[in-house]
Amino acid sequence: MHPSKSIIFFTVMSGTGYGIIICLSFLALIAEINFSYGLKLSLILISFLFITLGLLSSTLHLGHPERAWRSFSQWRSSWLSREGLAAVLTYIPLMLFYLLWFLEMDIFKYFLYSASILSVITIYCTGQMYASLKTVPAWNNVYVTPIYLINGLSIGSLSIYCLTRFYEYEIQHLYQFTLLSLALCLMLKIIYWFHIRTKSTSSINTAIGLGKDNKVSFFEGPHTGKNFLTTEMINKIKKEKANFLRLCFIILSCVLPIYMIVQEATLIIDAFILKLSFFITLVFALIGMLIERYLFFIQAKHVVSLYYGENKV
Amino acid sequence: MTSLPEKQNKKLGLVIDLDICVGCHACAVNCKEWNTSGHSSPLHDIDPYGDDPTGVWFNRIHTFEVESEINGSKTVHFPKSCLHCSDAPCVTVCPTGASYKREEDGIVLVNPETCIGCKLCSWSCPYGAREYDEEAGIMKKCTLCVDKIYNENIPESDRVPACVSTCPAGARSFGDLGDENSDIFKLVEERNGYDLMPEQDCLPTNKYLPPREKNNQFKNDALNSITNDNDFSFDTWKEIVEDASK
Ligand code: SF4
Ligand code: SF4
Ligand code: SF4
Repeated sequence: MHPSKSIIFFTVMSGTGYGIIICLSFLALIAEINFSYGLKLSLILISFLFITLGLLSSTLHLGHPERAWRSFSQWRSSWLSREGLAAVLTYIPLMLFYLLWFLEMDIFKYFLYSASILSVITIYCTGQMYASLKTVPAWNNVYVTPIYLINGLSIGSLSIYCLTRFYEYEIQHLYQFTLLSLALCLMLKIIYWFHIRTKSTSSINTAIGLGKDNKVSFFEGPHTGKNFLTTEMINKIKKEKANFLRLCFIILSCVLPIYMIVQEATLIIDAFILKLSFFITLVFALIGMLIERYLFFIQAKHVVSLYYGENKV
Repeated sequence: MTSLPEKQNKKLGLVIDLDICVGCHACAVNCKEWNTSGHSSPLHDIDPYGDDPTGVWFNRIHTFEVESEINGSKTVHFPKSCLHCSDAPCVTVCPTGASYKREEDGIVLVNPETCIGCKLCSWSCPYGAREYDEEAGIMKKCTLCVDKIYNENIPESDRVPACVSTCPAGARSFGDLGDENSDIFKLVEERNGYDLMPEQDCLPTNKYLPPREKNNQFKNDALNSITNDNDFSFDTWKEIVEDASK
């Protein structure tokens, strides 16, 4: 599938923003989260900007962004519609949470919890939109939606962790929570990569329908040039390049952050260097996530490629 | 509404005979011709006379080689347009309701006024039947020539899809595949018409008819009449030729 820049940016950015909110609500469940104003303000600003910039960028790939509001209507059948609706609804408790948290009014928690539930729903809808497409076997499986959720959560909690380093602030349980979600994120992705090696039941035989007693092979396409289908749905990446990018993701988004968090005490003594390195860690982890999302698209084969020379998908 | 209609009064669709199709691309050309001034007009082309032309086409002809023990090798031309599926995923994934299936005849259409061009429907279609118009920013697709088959301004005999009326070989038939008494339904029964990718569960309306079995008897008779030897079969001849080429 075509790795559209705006969709990759959108899912990573919004995912991170929602992840921050979800992680905060977990922390609020087990401890007090009345941080310093600086930390609060940064968390508010970063989560809001990430979510909003992500959502705005998602409209960029539309042919008619000005009609985007129409997509709220078909929530009965369409995961994309549900996603849009959930994303907009999330803003209501989210804005109230921001305000009340900043004003230090205790009821902020309830709005945080509802915002976080809606965030989970939004990411869930995004995942389901891909997972429900039978035409793309690499997406049509049980791992895709959990991966979207856990990716958001791991990078979200890493963002909070990096900010606490920046503000020299300790949050109870955040250490364990971040490490756990990063490890889960890595594990799930590796299981997924193993899973997508299995081929689907659709093949050139079922696509042409003459494969029962015959050997069917592609002779020529409908024309010599490209078309919408081949540019949108049939994209290839060399195996070596894909493996290299997978490694980049593993290192940037999982191994490096885990290493930094665990080894922090022995690694860096100078306070400024520490802040800087955690900032860089977060940037690297985000780049890793963008790479992962790129691979999610470019490595997913669509069954329509069976009409354009592919024998299996 | 992007929910599918509860019942379908009719299932209008096409039947494509792979035994007859000669791969001339006439149906694709006439489809473009009709539709570029019809319901979905215009069907834009990008860089039409340049090095890298692309454009919107609702119908495309692929070619495959089909080999078997009995029939040897055969070239099969394979036209493909929207199959107007009964369980059309392209309809249910649409977030705006722009993509819809008509209750009265089962035709799947896109409303150009409300489509936001998110392309999700094209991802959900296994057959590659949806065509994004880059210039117009909306999705387009085969309309089953809805503006021709019901068009009262043209003679009744012309009220069939453009691809059907233009096919010089008669490889395309049009009719109500939901009606067991229709000619087209009987044709499908008789020739073992089949669905493309049934495992995708889209229940396509359009059916494909497989190439007929080749009859080697004919070749044997022809050979026998030349050699005046009734035991000299096509296979004997093949063996001689194969031995000679060793
Ligand atoms: S062939 Fe594709 S576009 Fe046509 S109805 Fe079926 S799923 Fe939809
Ligand atoms: S491209 Fe248009 S018709 Fe297709 S799913 Fe999006 S809004 Fe619906
Ligand atoms: S029915 Fe009409 S729109 Fe569909 S492929 Fe044939 S000519 Fe094109």
